[in-house]
Amino acid sequence: MSKVAKENLSAAEIREQRMKILYKILPIVSIITIITLWLIATNSSSGNFPSPADVWERTVRLFTHPVKKRNLILHILASLQRVGLALLFDWTFGIAFGIMIGWYPKLRAFFSPLFDAFRAIPPLAWIPLITLWNGTGELSKVIIVIFGSLQSIVINVKAGLSTVDKMYLDVGTVFNATPAQRLFKIAIPSSLDAIFAGVRTSTSAAWMVVLAAEMLGAGNAGVGLLISRGMDSMDMPLVLTGMIAIGLVGALLAIITQFAERLICPWTRKTK
Amino acid sequence: MENMEKQEYKVRVEHLTKYFGNLHVLDDVSFNIKKGEFLCVVGPTGCGKTTFLNLLTRIYMPTKGQLYIDNEPADPKKHNLAVVFQEPSSMPWLTVEQNLRFGMEIKKLPKDEIDRRVENMISLLGLEEFRDKYPHQLSVSTAQRIIIGRAFAMQPDLLLMDEPYGQMDIKLRFYLEDEVIRLWKETGTTVIFITHNIEEAVYLAERVLILTNKPAKIKEEVKIDLPRPRDVTAPEFIKLRNYVTDQIKWW
Repeated sequence: MSKVAKENLSAAEIREQRMKILYKILPIVSIITIITLWLIATNSSSGNFPSPADVWERTVRLFTHPVKKRNLILHILASLQRVGLALLFDWTFGIAFGIMIGWYPKLRAFFSPLFDAFRAIPPLAWIPLITLWNGTGELSKVIIVIFGSLQSIVINVKAGLSTVDKMYLDVGTVFNATPAQRLFKIAIPSSLDAIFAGVRTSTSAAWMVVLAAEMLGAGNAGVGLLISRGMDSMDMPLVLTGMIAIGLVGALLAIITQFAERLICPWTRKTK
Repeated sequence: MENMEKQEYKVRVEHLTKYFGNLHVLDDVSFNIKKGEFLCVVGPTGCGKTTFLNLLTRIYMPTKGQLYIDNEPADPKKHNLAVVFQEPSSMPWLTVEQNLRFGMEIKKLPKDEIDRRVENMISLLGLEEFRDKYPHQLSVSTAQRIIIGRAFAMQPDLLLMDEPYGQMDIKLRFYLEDEVIRLWKETGTTVIFITHNIEEAVYLAERVLILTNKPAKIKEEVKIDLPRPRDVTAPEFIKLRNYVTDQIKWW
C-alpha cells in the first residue's frame, strides 16, 4: 500500500480513503467545538458559568485542598467502590436470576409480573424506605445502586436465555444432552453476548445511579458529594469538575467492559 | 426365517405416520437399512422430507409406527444418532476443534478417545489450519464440513443428513459429495441422506427412496449399482437419473 497503489485507485476507493481521514478528524473537531461553545457561553453569561480555565484551576485546587479530606481521585474511588459492590451483586444474583427466568418458563410466568412491577419503580423512589431500614450509610447507597442497575442485567440475560436458537437445542436433542448440558453447554454459551450486553448496560446504569444516591444521602465521599457540595456553596467550577470526572470515568468503564467482552467472547469479534 | 432377515438390518422403519393436527404429513412409511448402507431419500419440495428426518431423530414423535435400531425401538438415550442439519449448525462460540469435540463431550466419551477421533477427523478433512478458528471466520462450506466431521466423529449408529449441500454451488458440491463418500467408506457409518437434488442422490446412494407428495409415502426404491467413483456423464448414470426424475414427476 505505497505510492504504486495510490495511482491505481478508483473514485470509490479514493472517496473511501478520504472518508477514513474525515472520520479521524471529526471527533477532534467536535471536542474543539464544545470547548469553543463553552468559552462563548462563559463570556456571555456574566459569571454564572465557569470557564474551562476556572474548572481546571478548581480541579487542581481539589488536590491541594481536598474536600472532606479526599482529593478527586479518592472521591472517584469511593464512588467506584459502591458501584463495584453493587455490580458484584448484579453479576452474581442478577445473572443467576436472569438465567432462571429466561430458561424456565414456569419461573418466568411466576416472576415476570413481580419483576416488571419492580423495574417500573425508579430506584430513587426507594430512598425513603431504604433509609428507614438501613440508615444513610454505605449499605443504603449500595442498595440504591443495585435497585437502579439490577434490571438491566436481568432483562438482557432473560432475553438471551429465552431466545436460544432452536437449532442449537435440536443438536443437543440429537446428541441426547441432559437438561444440565442443554443449559450449561448450549443455552448459556449461546447467550453470552446477551449476558455481556447486560454487563455493559448494568455498569453504566450503576455509574449513573451512584451519583444520585450520593447527592441525596448524607456521606463524606463520592463524586456525587462533590457536585452537591458545589451546589450548596455556589461553587460551579467544582460542579463542573465533578461532571467531567463522571463523564471520563463513565467512558473508561464502557471501554473496559467492551475490552472484557472481546477477551471473554472472542467469537463476537466480526473480523476475518 | 423372517427373524433372520430382521437381524441383518441396522435400521427398520415400520409404518411411520405423522399428523400435525389435521395435516397428514407422512403416511405409512416402511423400509429397512443394512449396516453401513448409504441411502438417499428424494422427493418433491415440501413433501415432508424434513419431518421425516425429525421423526428419525426423535425431535418429533410419530403418530403411528416405530423406528428400530438394532432391533430395539430407537432411543436417543441408548442409540447413537447424529444429524447434519440443512442450516450450518456449528456452535458459534466454539472453535473448529471444540465443535468437533462437542457431540462426544456431550456423550461423555473418554478424553483420549475424543482426542484420537478429533485428530483423525481433522486430518481426514484437512482442517489443520482452521483448528483454532471460529465458525464465523470460515466460509459457509467449511463450516458445514465441520458439522459433517462432528457427525462422523460420533461414529453413530445412524447418521442423518438433511440437504447439507443445499446452499452450495455445483463445483463445491461435487467436492463435498466426494468427501462424504470418503468419510462413509472410511468409517462404515450407516447414512440416510435427504436431498431434492436427483443427481446428488444418484451420485451418492447405494439405494434411493423416492417419496410422493404430501402425505408422503414411498413411491419406489431404486437400487444404484454403479461403480465408484461415479461419472455423472456416463450413459448409465444419466439413464438412472432420468428414471428417478420421471418417478418424481409422474404421480
